[in-house]
Amino acid sequence: MSIVIQDLVKHFGAHAVVDHVSLEIHDGELLVLLGPSGSGKSTILRIIAGLIPADGGRVFLHGRDVTHLTPQQRNTGFVFQNYSLFRHMTVAENIEFGLEARHVPKAQRTAKSNELLALVGLGGLGGRYPKQLSGGQQQRVAVARALAFEPSVLLLDEPFGALDVKIRAQLRLALKEIQQRVKVTTILVTHDQEEAFELGDRIGVIDRGRLLEVGSPTALYRSPQQEFVATFLGGANLMAGQVKEGRVNLGSLELSDAVSYTTVDPEGRLEVLFRPEDLTLATAREELTIPVLGQGVIEQVLFLGTLQRLRLRLHPLPNTWRLPAEFGETGLPIQVARVPRSDGHLDFQAGQQVWVGINNFHILPRIPMRVLVGIDESANAEKLLTYGEMLARATGGLVTVVTMAEDKATAEQLAILARETVGTQSPLMEFHARVGRATDEILGQAKAGEYDLLLLAEPRKDSPRAETTFRELVRRSPLPLLIVKGEQTTIRRILFCTAGGEPGKRNIIFGGRLARRTGAGTTLLYVDPASAPTFGGGGPNRPAPNLARPTPPWIAKHLAEGTLTLRNQGISAEIQERSGVVVDEILKEAEKGEHDLIVIGRHLEGGTARLGSIDLTSEILQRAPCPVMIVTEDPGVSI
Amino acid sequence: MREPKGWVPKLLIGIAVLYLAVLILLPVLAIFQGAFAQGAAVFFESLNDPQVIAAFWLSIQLAIAAVVINTIFGTTVAWVLVRQEFFGRAFFNALVDLPFVVSPVITGYMVILLFGRQGWFAPLVKATDTQIAFAVPGMLLVTVFVSLPFVIREVMPVLREIGHEPEQAAHTLGASSWRTFVRVTMPGIRWGLLYGISLTLARALGEFGGVLVAGGAVTGKTETATLYIFAALDERQYISAYAVAVVLALFSFTVLIGMEILRKRTEITQ
Repeated sequence: MSIVIQDLVKHFGAHAVVDHVSLEIHDGELLVLLGPSGSGKSTILRIIAGLIPADGGRVFLHGRDVTHLTPQQRNTGFVFQNYSLFRHMTVAENIEFGLEARHVPKAQRTAKSNELLALVGLGGLGGRYPKQLSGGQQQRVAVARALAFEPSVLLLDEPFGALDVKIRAQLRLALKEIQQRVKVTTILVTHDQEEAFELGDRIGVIDRGRLLEVGSPTALYRSPQQEFVATFLGGANLMAGQVKEGRVNLGSLELSDAVSYTTVDPEGRLEVLFRPEDLTLATAREELTIPVLGQGVIEQVLFLGTLQRLRLRLHPLPNTWRLPAEFGETGLPIQVARVPRSDGHLDFQAGQQVWVGINNFHILPRIPMRVLVGIDESANAEKLLTYGEMLARATGGLVTVVTMAEDKATAEQLAILARETVGTQSPLMEFHARVGRATDEILGQAKAGEYDLLLLAEPRKDSPRAETTFRELVRRSPLPLLIVKGEQTTIRRILFCTAGGEPGKRNIIFGGRLARRTGAGTTLLYVDPASAPTFGGGGPNRPAPNLARPTPPWIAKHLAEGTLTLRNQGISAEIQERSGVVVDEILKEAEKGEHDLIVIGRHLEGGTARLGSIDLTSEILQRAPCPVMIVTEDPGVSI
Repeated sequence: MREPKGWVPKLLIGIAVLYLAVLILLPVLAIFQGAFAQGAAVFFESLNDPQVIAAFWLSIQLAIAAVVINTIFGTTVAWVLVRQEFFGRAFFNALVDLPFVVSPVITGYMVILLFGRQGWFAPLVKATDTQIAFAVPGMLLVTVFVSLPFVIREVMPVLREIGHEPEQAAHTLGASSWRTFVRVTMPGIRWGLLYGISLTLARALGEFGGVLVAGGAVTGKTETATLYIFAALDERQYISAYAVAVVLALFSFTVLIGMEILRKRTEITQ
């Protein structure tokens, strides 16, 4: 192995830019790190080169642990995005710089720089200054400079980023050729998937600091394991499917395939991926000899030379929905790519009705929902665990239970108790005992792992410290929080509170995923707070009018789109509108509709001043008869 | 697109040229006229006075010393302020501009407060038997102080613009920190640095109030060229005063224009 990185971690402030990344790169391999900008891929490269220190983890180059070495000691060739050529030196002086630093005699340096100039196709240009070269030529000088001292590995940070498309394509081929000739182990960082496909022996896909999948371009394109990888690499139509007797079903349609499928999900749910070229269009159903996905309207036709890319909207299909759900859409938007016939025959137009057939499909095993349960001495552990187990079963999720106490013995005792409560046989649950401050332990865990939801018990009334801890968690949790209280042990009806138009789209999408996985029905509640009498001494005490004002049109639209979003995922949804004191009305509706989960946004807290100095979130938390889910601004991970 | 109206740019050019002419060119011409009022022979004769030569010599020594000190420390300070993160960086960054806003006369007075007979460092001065206030070392302190911001302020934006990457590139290529500084950082900032140096030189040569207070303007001992001009004007020796002024002005001009030519020439290739 030329490059091995183990469990690399890097934080900028509280934000994890590199989140436990491990990777091995074979001798002579060209590995592409592919990810959107800000995903942490360049940071990884800089850590390998020693330009940035890592907060955790180790880097090995050819078996040597270089984690604590300076860049000078690592012997890596690094090509920067803007090349960082030394402008005051000639091309030859630039290339010889690394040799000069290694005290190589002048004659040898000149020979080496001539050899490299020839290799990169710039023979005879050694006397020029960088400014006298084109962008593409400068890039090749940068590569030559990085290779001159025969580095142990070559690291390229977006090396084509600053070039125009045509030169980029030429240089890609040239680079691949050079890399194969020199046989240097290379990591190339890019956000361009075409570049990744063309250059990479293997591709590592990175998102938000995490290395999601590594594999050959074909493997990643044909059988990605995760939603992000599927959608980031090429066009993707993702739909929710189900395995029945080893066959994949999409709504009522059975996708024929020789392979028998199994899934981690207890109800056999998985994601079906259609690449745009996996779908075939026809003007009439009879023309299709393959399984038919449905009928739809062409919305847009894009001509891309050899390919034609079409955007369609399928008519809604029973029990079929698109993933990830988008807000307020009707029908199923899909992408299709096809090779137009050269005689222009059977070309499709926007607005045309077509049938869509399925040539091929791929399966993404659903990443199970991961729930983090925090238990400290003050919590009602039993109720929390029962609820957690229910959630795990209902959603096909995995539950991690963290027990926390100030001393080791108590923490372990709590873990043992928790294990006994659940019964050791549950494979869906794992247990950890932690010593320390409850808030820090929970937040540390919530950041380090990949969780979708944090489950907490309501703090006991007699413990002021538990109350403080709890409030801090509610305020700082990076994950959506579900506070377990009341006697409910199932999720059948979910109440989304949209006081003043909030919570927003994301909360509905997030809560909707929970509903989809538990099969719960939903209500979208809007409470008009304007007609509520204000609390507190100083505020203007408007009398509550008897007649509710008409719902503002933008809220009506928001509610309509919200229900549509939920219904598109196969969830039953209804709208309720009320006016009055926000918290009172929410609780009334929860009781009336027999809801067993209330979903609110944390940002309700931000609206306090407008709503008369009430901290809505904590008041609902205190008074609700059932569990409350607080959705944070960025629920990030899909359920 | 419509052509912009012809008279607007012309008017602006007129204003700019007139402004520079009235404020800079006219006074310079007046000095030249004054210096050569009685012919070239008298001009050169007045420069040949030993007192004038001594004054010039002191000015040049002070200026060169200030340039050397401010180049070395100014470059270091600029690099630290741009590249390093440390507590109080913003404060020190603001502190650099202090010499711009403090009157040189006050600076001279500060030297006396520190190194005078009643000053903070009086015991030290006594113990080492070195005269600082009312002597050349005090004048040097003032000159360094008033010309301190130029190198720093000229180098900092250049360092910032170049960015950290050329230095990082040099590190990955195996160059030590020193080699990186000499071969990569210095050449990168050289024009900013040279510009800063020439401003430092001009400022140091032209310093008057501070060196007057700190040095006391003793003829032949602590009298610089500018102090000589002041004294000569006081004694109504106008030709001498103008002649020295002309030489000082010419010197500064030459430095600035020489720099500009050098820069233009290298910019073409690099």
